Amino acid sequence: MRPEAAGSHFPKRVWSRRELWLRAGSGVGYLALASMLQRDALRAAPLGSPLASKAPHLPPRAKAVISIFCYGGVSHVDTFDPKPELARRQGEALTGKGEVIVAQGNPGALMASPWTFRKHGECGMEISELFPHVARHADKLALIRSMYAISNDHAPALFQMNTGFVLPGHPSMGSWITYGLGSENENLPAFVVFADWRGGPIGGAPNWGNGFMPAAYQGTLFRSEGDPIVDLRPGREVTPERQRRWLDLLARLNQEHLARNPEDADLASRIASYELAYRMQSSAPEAVDLAGEPAPVRAAYGLDQARTAYFGRQCLIARRLVERGVRFVQIYSGGGNFGESWDAHFELKENHELHAGETDQPIAALLEDLQQRGLLDSTLVIWHGEFGRLPISQQMDGRDHNPFGFSLWLAGGGVKGGVVVGGTDEFGYRAAEERTSVNDLHATILALLGLDHEKLTFFHNGRHMRLTDVSGKVVRKILA
Amino acid sequence: MREAVFLLLVLVVPLPLGAADVAAEAARVLARHCVACHGAATQLSGLDLRTREAMQKGGARGPALAPGQPEASRVYRLAAALDQPAMPPGGKISAEDLAALHAWITAGAPPLPQPPGADHDSLRRKLEERPITEEERSYWAFQPPKRPRAPDVPAEFAGWAENPVDAFLLAKMLPHGLRPSPPAGRRLLIRRLYLDLLGLPPAPEDVEAFVADPAPDAWPKLVEQVLASPHYGERWGRHWLDLVRYSDSGGFEYDRDRPHAWRYRDYVVRAFNQDKPYPQFIREQIAGDEFAPDSPEALIATSFLRFGPDHNMKNEQTRMDELDDIVSTTTLAFLGMTVGCARCHNHKFDPIPQKDYYRMVAVFFSTVPADRPLAAPDVIARHQARNQEIDGLQKPLKAERDALEKPYREQLLAAKRARLAPHIQEALRTPPERRTEGQKLSALQVERTLRVKEEELVRAMAPADLARRKDIELALQMLDARRPEPLPTAMAVGEQGREAKPSYFLYRGRPGNKGSRMSPGVLSVAARVEPAFAEPPPDARSSWRRRAFADWVASPENPLTARVMVNRIWQHHFGAGIVRTPNNFGQNGARPSHPELLDWLATEFVRQGGSVKAMHRLLLNSQAYRMASDDTEANRRIDPENRWWWRMPRVRLEAEVVRDAMLAVAGTLDRSLGGPGVFPYIDPALWQSSSGRTWPGRPLSDPAAHRRSLYIFHKRTIPYPMLEVFDKPDAAGSCPERNRSTAPTQALVLMNSEAVRRQAAFFAQRLQQERPGDPAAQVERGFALALARPPSPPERSLAESFLRSSPYGLVDFCQALFNTNEFAYAP
Repeated sequence: MRPEAAGSHFPKRVWSRRELWLRAGSGVGYLALASMLQRDALRAAPLGSPLASKAPHLPPRAKAVISIFCYGGVSHVDTFDPKPELARRQGEALTGKGEVIVAQGNPGALMASPWTFRKHGECGMEISELFPHVARHADKLALIRSMYAISNDHAPALFQMNTGFVLPGHPSMGSWITYGLGSENENLPAFVVFADWRGGPIGGAPNWGNGFMPAAYQGTLFRSEGDPIVDLRPGREVTPERQRRWLDLLARLNQEHLARNPEDADLASRIASYELAYRMQSSAPEAVDLAGEPAPVRAAYGLDQARTAYFGRQCLIARRLVERGVRFVQIYSGGGNFGESWDAHFELKENHELHAGETDQPIAALLEDLQQRGLLDSTLVIWHGEFGRLPISQQMDGRDHNPFGFSLWLAGGGVKGGVVVGGTDEFGYRAAEERTSVNDLHATILALLGLDHEKLTFFHNGRHMRLTDVSGKVVRKILA
Repeated sequence: MREAVFLLLVLVVPLPLGAADVAAEAARVLARHCVACHGAATQLSGLDLRTREAMQKGGARGPALAPGQPEASRVYRLAAALDQPAMPPGGKISAEDLAALHAWITAGAPPLPQPPGADHDSLRRKLEERPITEEERSYWAFQPPKRPRAPDVPAEFAGWAENPVDAFLLAKMLPHGLRPSPPAGRRLLIRRLYLDLLGLPPAPEDVEAFVADPAPDAWPKLVEQVLASPHYGERWGRHWLDLVRYSDSGGFEYDRDRPHAWRYRDYVVRAFNQDKPYPQFIREQIAGDEFAPDSPEALIATSFLRFGPDHNMKNEQTRMDELDDIVSTTTLAFLGMTVGCARCHNHKFDPIPQKDYYRMVAVFFSTVPADRPLAAPDVIARHQARNQEIDGLQKPLKAERDALEKPYREQLLAAKRARLAPHIQEALRTPPERRTEGQKLSALQVERTLRVKEEELVRAMAPADLARRKDIELALQMLDARRPEPLPTAMAVGEQGREAKPSYFLYRGRPGNKGSRMSPGVLSVAARVEPAFAEPPPDARSSWRRRAFADWVASPENPLTARVMVNRIWQHHFGAGIVRTPNNFGQNGARPSHPELLDWLATEFVRQGGSVKAMHRLLLNSQAYRMASDDTEANRRIDPENRWWWRMPRVRLEAEVVRDAMLAVAGTLDRSLGGPGVFPYIDPALWQSSSGRTWPGRPLSDPAAHRRSLYIFHKRTIPYPMLEVFDKPDAAGSCPERNRSTAPTQALVLMNSEAVRRQAAFFAQRLQQERPGDPAAQVERGFALALARPPSPPERSLAESFLRSSPYGLVDFCQALFNTNEFAYAP
C-alpha cells in the first residue's frame, strides 16, 4: 500500500510483526501503560517506526548535517571566488563565454567586486573581507568553486538545491537522509528547519517537504522563540497532570482496541507515537533552551549583538540539536524578496554586508563550537545558496542570478579541509574546471553519511526515484 | 620489450593501415556511436561529429578535437570515460572502437568519408522509431479485457455464490487454505459504510435504525440511502482530486491564487453525485470545450488541464514542462501508464516509444489557458462597459498625477545619475556613436532601470503637491470600488483556431533539439487501430485533437481505461487495488492479484455505461465487503498482509476524514456544499513570508473553521498543517494512493492544537446538553457518537471513573475519544 523501496535497503517492513509486538509489549504493552508516561525518556525510536535508526550502506563519516542556506543567491565573485579580471575590465561587455543569460533583463557591463580578497589559513584559500570570521576556518573548508545548477529562477533553483529537481513534488535532502538513516533521537523531530526572521523562502514548505514519501519524513519548522514547534504543548489551562491523566485514559482505550488485533504493527506504532509526542513536549523546549549555555558561548555566537542575535541563536540551537541526535538541520539566511534575502539585484554592497554581517560570526562560532565538543568530525556543515550571481551589473549596482557557476563550501563530517575544487572562467560566469552539478553535491553529501546515492531509492509512480535522479558523481577530492 | 610493444600494437591497432583506412574505421565508429545525436538529424550540445572541421569547431563545451592529441580531444576523453559525461550515454564503447578513434586522432585526424546510413533521414529514423513487437502487445494490460465466467462456489459457501465478486475472491482464498472472515456486526458495518462513502461517521440514530431494521434487504436499502447523500460526491470527488493534482494556487515563486479553481472541485463533486457516465467525465475534462463549447459544465471540466504548477518564468522549456505535466497526468489518471517517463528517451520498462510521448504532446500543444466568463453575452457586455466607463473616469486623474510627479522625478533621477559609479557616468558622457559595447550596455541599463522609489518621491514633494496627490489616489481607489464584481468564470482552456500549431520530436527532451514534426497520436501499444484525428469542421474554434484523443481514451475498446478505473473504485473500498500500483499498470507496476475479477469488473463497468454508482452497489453488496476486519489466527499465519482479502482491511483514515469526523461528532460541522475555498487559521510562524504569499486565516471562532476539509483552500506553498501531517498529498503531481504514515507530529496536533481542543470542548458541551448531569449516559452517548457503538464494560468503568475524578473530565474524555486508534481507523 505504501510505496516500497527498491533493493534491500528499505523494505516495507524491516521488522517482523512478531518482533514489533514483542517490542510493543515491552514498550507500550498493557502492563507498562500505567507508567509509560512517567518513564525516563528513551532516546531510540521504537522498532517499526518510520524513523527507527537504520544502518547506512557504508561506514559513515558524518552522522548529522547542518545546511546553512543563503537564500536569494550569494554572489560567489564577491565572497569565495576572486576575479581580478572584473576590476581590470570593469565597464566592458562580457564576451566570449557564449550567450549572456540574465533573469530580469537589461544586462550591464562587467562590474568589479566592492570587496577585496585575501589569502587565509595554511591552505591560502582566498576569501573576501565579507567573511572575516569564517575565513579564520579556511583550513576546515572544502570549497567548491565550480558548482552549476539548472534554473535561474528562485523557486525551481531552491527546489533543485533542496530536492534535486527543479519541479516541486520531490522529497527534500533532509527527508531522504532521515528516510535512509532514521533518527538517533525520536524525542525530537529528525529534520528541523529554521526560517529567517523576515519570513520563509520562496517556494515555502515544499523546500523541506517529504514529496511523495510519508509525512513522517518532512522537515519540522522550528520557531526560534517560545515553543519551538507549533502545537507542541496544550493551552495553559491543561496542566501536565491533567494531560497525563487523559493520555492514560487514551492508552487504556487503545489497549482494549489493540487486544482484538495484537499483531497489527500500524496500530501499535500509532500508540507508540503518542509516547514519543509526549516526550517531545519536554525534550523540544529543553533543546532550544539556551539558559544553560555559558556567557562566553553565547557571546561567541553573537547573541549579545542585535545584528547577529537571531541567526546566532539558530546556530547555537542547531549545535544543541545535533548533540541530541537530530539528523538534519537547515537554517535559512534571508526571507522574502530582494533586499530581505541575498537576492541583490540592486545595492549589492548594502545587501551582502547586511546578510554576511548577520551570519559570518555565528557560522564561525558554530564551526568552532562543534570542533571543541568533538562534534565536527561527525557533523557536516554546508554553506550554500540556490545559485550565484552574475559578474555583470544589474540596475547599476546589483547583480542578477547566475546558475552557470557559483561557489559553496562544506566542513566537518569527513570533509578534507583547505581544499578548493574546480573553478569558473576568468569572469566567474560559468563553471569551467571540475564542473560540479547539484546531483554531484547530493551524491557527495550522501556518501559522507554512508549512503550510496544509487541505492537510496523510493518507488513512486513506476520508478525507483533517487535524490540524484539518474546522475551524480561523488566529489572524491573533498573526502578526508 | 620490442616484441611486447609490437604485440600490443597488433592487438589494438592492426597494422599496417593507411590514412584512408584509419579514417574509414573512425567514420564507422562515429556512425555507430555518435552521429545519431551529433550529426545530420540533430546536434546535441551544439556539437557535430561528422567532419574533422566540425569537431574542431566544437560545441557548447568547447572544441572536441585536437588532431594528433587524443588525450587532449574531448571526443576521445568522453568516449574513453576520462571525463564526464561519459559517451555514448547508457552504452559502453568497445575497446576496439576506442582504439580506432585513438588511432585516427593520433594520425592527425585525416578527413572522414561519409559512412552509409549517416544521412539525415536514416539517422532520424534511428532516433525516432521504436517498433512495438507482438510480444509487447500481448502483455495483459494491453489485451482487451474478456469477461470470464464467475467461478463455481462450494456448497459450504452458498452465500458467496450470488455476487460474482465474492465468487472470484473465494476462488483465490480457498486454494491458499484461507477462509473468509465472518460477517461484521451491523454497528461496525454502518460506520464502515459511512466513512467509506461519505467520509463522515453515522449519527447514533442512523445506527440504531439500521440495527433494528428487520427487513431482509436492510443492507442494500442502506447502501442506496447513503449513495444518494450529497456528501458522497464530496468524499469520492476528493479521491479524484488527488489524481488530477487539484490545487487552488500555482506554486513556485509567487504561488498565485487560482480564484476559479474551486468550480472544478464542485464540478467533480456533482459528477460523482449525479453518477455522470465515466466516458462523459473523461471527455469533458480532456476536451469539454470541443465537445460542448456552450456548456458551462464542460468548460469548467477542462480546468483539469490547468492544475499543473505555474512557472514564474515563461519560455520554451517551461512550456514543455507544462505539457509534460498535462501528458503525464492525463495518462496516469485515465490510463494508469507512466508515459511521462518517455519524455527524454523511449520508456525503459514499457513499450512506450518516445515518439508516442511527442505525438501526445502534439494533441495538447495548441491548448492554452482561457478563462471564460460564465454569463450571457449581454451580461458580459454590460460588465465590460462598466469597467471601461471607470477606466475613462480614472484616465484624467492618472494624467494629472503623472504631471504632478514629473518635475520631482526628473530632479531625483538627475541626482541619482550624478552618484553612479564613475565608469557608468563616463559611459553616459560618451556620445552614443562612440560608446564601446560595455558602455552601450551601461547606458541602456541606466535608461531602463534607474528608478525613483515611492518613498524618495514622497520625501521630495512639496506639501501642497503631496496633498493633491493623496486626493487623487483616494479618488482612484473610490472609483475602483465602484467596479462590478468579477463575473463567475471557468478556469478553462482553448486554442487559437482550427489549425494546430506545429510541434516536434525533441531529442533528449530538449527544446533546442528538434526532430520531425509530429502528428497527434495515442499510446500505440494499446491501440490495435490508430484512431483518426480528423479535420475539425469549418466553424470549429480549435483543432479537435483533444476531442479525438478523449474519444480514444473513453472508448470501450480501450484496454486500459475501464480496468484502471474499476481498480481505483476497488482500491478505495478494499484498502488497496487489485493492481496495487493504481497509476502504473506497466511492467514496473504490480500484477493484478485477481486478474479475472479485474477483467470481469472492467467489462461490467463498460456494460453499465460507466456508472460508478453501479460499481459501488456491486462491491458494497458483496459478502466480502461485509466481512469483519479482525485477524483470524489461522488466516493470518498464511497471509499476514491480507493479500487475498480474507478480511476487510484496517487502514488509517485520510486527513480530511479524521478532521471532518471530529467536527461531525462535536456537532459543529457545517454541511453546506460547494463554493470558494475557506481559510481556517494557520499559525503565521508556519507561512510568514514577504514574497507575496499570504494566508488570510480566519479566527478559530469563524464558521469557516467548520466547513468540510474538502473546502479548505489548497495553497501549494502553505499546506494546512493538520491535513499535511496526515499525508494529504502536495498536488505536485498525480497521487493515486495516499501514504498512511504514523508520526509523533500527528499526535501533537490531535493532543494540543487549539482547533482540536475547541472541538473536544464542543463535543463535551453537546454531551452535557444531550445527557445533562448523567456521567454514565454521557459516556454511552460519547461512544455512540464517536465510535457508533456502546462502550464495553471495562471501557465504561474506565470512562465513568475518569469523569467522576476530574472537573474537566468530560472535555478530556472527548479529546481522548478523538485520539483513539478506533476513531482514526476504518473499521
